[in-house]
Amino acid sequence: MAALVVVFSPLPRLRGLLQRCWGRLERGLLPGFSGGQSPPWGPALAVQAPVFLPQPVNDTGESSEAPSLLDSILWMAAPKKRRTIEVNRCRRRNPQKLIKVKTNIDVCPECGNLKQKHVLCGYCYAKVKAETRLIRMEICKKEGGPFNAPTVETVVLYDGEKPTEKDEGKRIIERARKRPSWFVQN
Amino acid sequence: MAARWAVSAGSAWVRGLLGWVRPERWLASGSLFPLSCIHTSTSLQKLGKWEKKNRIVYPPQLPGEPRRPAEIYHCRRDIKYSKDKMWYLAKLIKGMSIDQALAQLEFNDKKGAKVIKEVLLEAQEMAVRNHNVEFKSNLHIAESTTGRGRYVKRIRYHGKGMFGIMKIVRCHYFVKLVEGPPPPPEPRRTGFDQAKEYVQQLRSRTLVNTL
Repeated sequence: MAALVVVFSPLPRLRGLLQRCWGRLERGLLPGFSGGQSPPWGPALAVQAPVFLPQPVNDTGESSEAPSLLDSILWMAAPKKRRTIEVNRCRRRNPQKLIKVKTNIDVCPECGNLKQKHVLCGYCYAKVKAETRLIRMEICKKEGGPFNAPTVETVVLYDGEKPTEKDEGKRIIERARKRPSWFVQN
Repeated sequence: MAARWAVSAGSAWVRGLLGWVRPERWLASGSLFPLSCIHTSTSLQKLGKWEKKNRIVYPPQLPGEPRRPAEIYHCRRDIKYSKDKMWYLAKLIKGMSIDQALAQLEFNDKKGAKVIKEVLLEAQEMAVRNHNVEFKSNLHIAESTTGRGRYVKRIRYHGKGMFGIMKIVRCHYFVKLVEGPPPPPEPRRTGFDQAKEYVQQLRSRTLVNTL
């Protein structure tokens, strides 16, 4: 028999649902048995009768009805006991849940900041990103609007640099500063 | 004499008069006040036990005594993070040298890692400036713990007019830096050690209530 489910809910909606649920259970298990009458399959009269008893008249419709979600609410998984703090600590603190110490941290040879071995150095990347942004702003000023990108290559020249014969047909972007050491000219 | 008394009394009266005069009232509104008149210091909240630990002063050491390593206590209060989640980070850096701890925290993706990194850098700065620590790398983390901050309850609205009460969770983070290299980790307790201890226990049994 399903245990009595005590659900503390101040909401009438849920209470009504559970009452209907319980009522349906009662009717399903003991049809026609309400208020102290004898069950229908018990003999009402003791008579010399053949061995076999007439089959109890049950509604065949009930057993064929699949248990709906409302009936199976009382068969849902629920914790039986409160988990003690010792058990909780064992679960929260076992080595699988602790943070692992990383062994792939190195020093960037360029700037001296820390970097992961398989990842670009954050400081150097930020430095390059800032310079690229300024070059892109120069390009924007030169182009003037969208869809004006030329079909030739681009070359970036810094202070005091002249375009060589290799940069013949290329678009030239001027940047008004000294060439940074990491931006190699070819 | 009476005149002198009168003068002194008069000067005292004048001083008393000047005592309650507030020069800032004479200045036109909108002009800058002279800084000496303004009470600019903020009243600090009640200092917690951890903050007070930095105030203890030991008597000077005798010539023969071993050198007492410097200890720096630092904390941050009411961080908007869960104390259980912060505990994992605190456990990670327990016992490490400060450089190693900063490296590990830099590449950790948790929100608390950034906060703890700031706290460690502050503590390192404090150590060098106020606590007479010579080398800022010569520090290790002796203790690092988290504590529960002040929780605030708020309503979380669900569908169908239902509601739940949620807690806005905050935590504190405490760290103690000690000068010197980190202590070597304890060797893992092997089965052989446990067996030895067991045999020792058996051997040290005696008969009770006898001669």
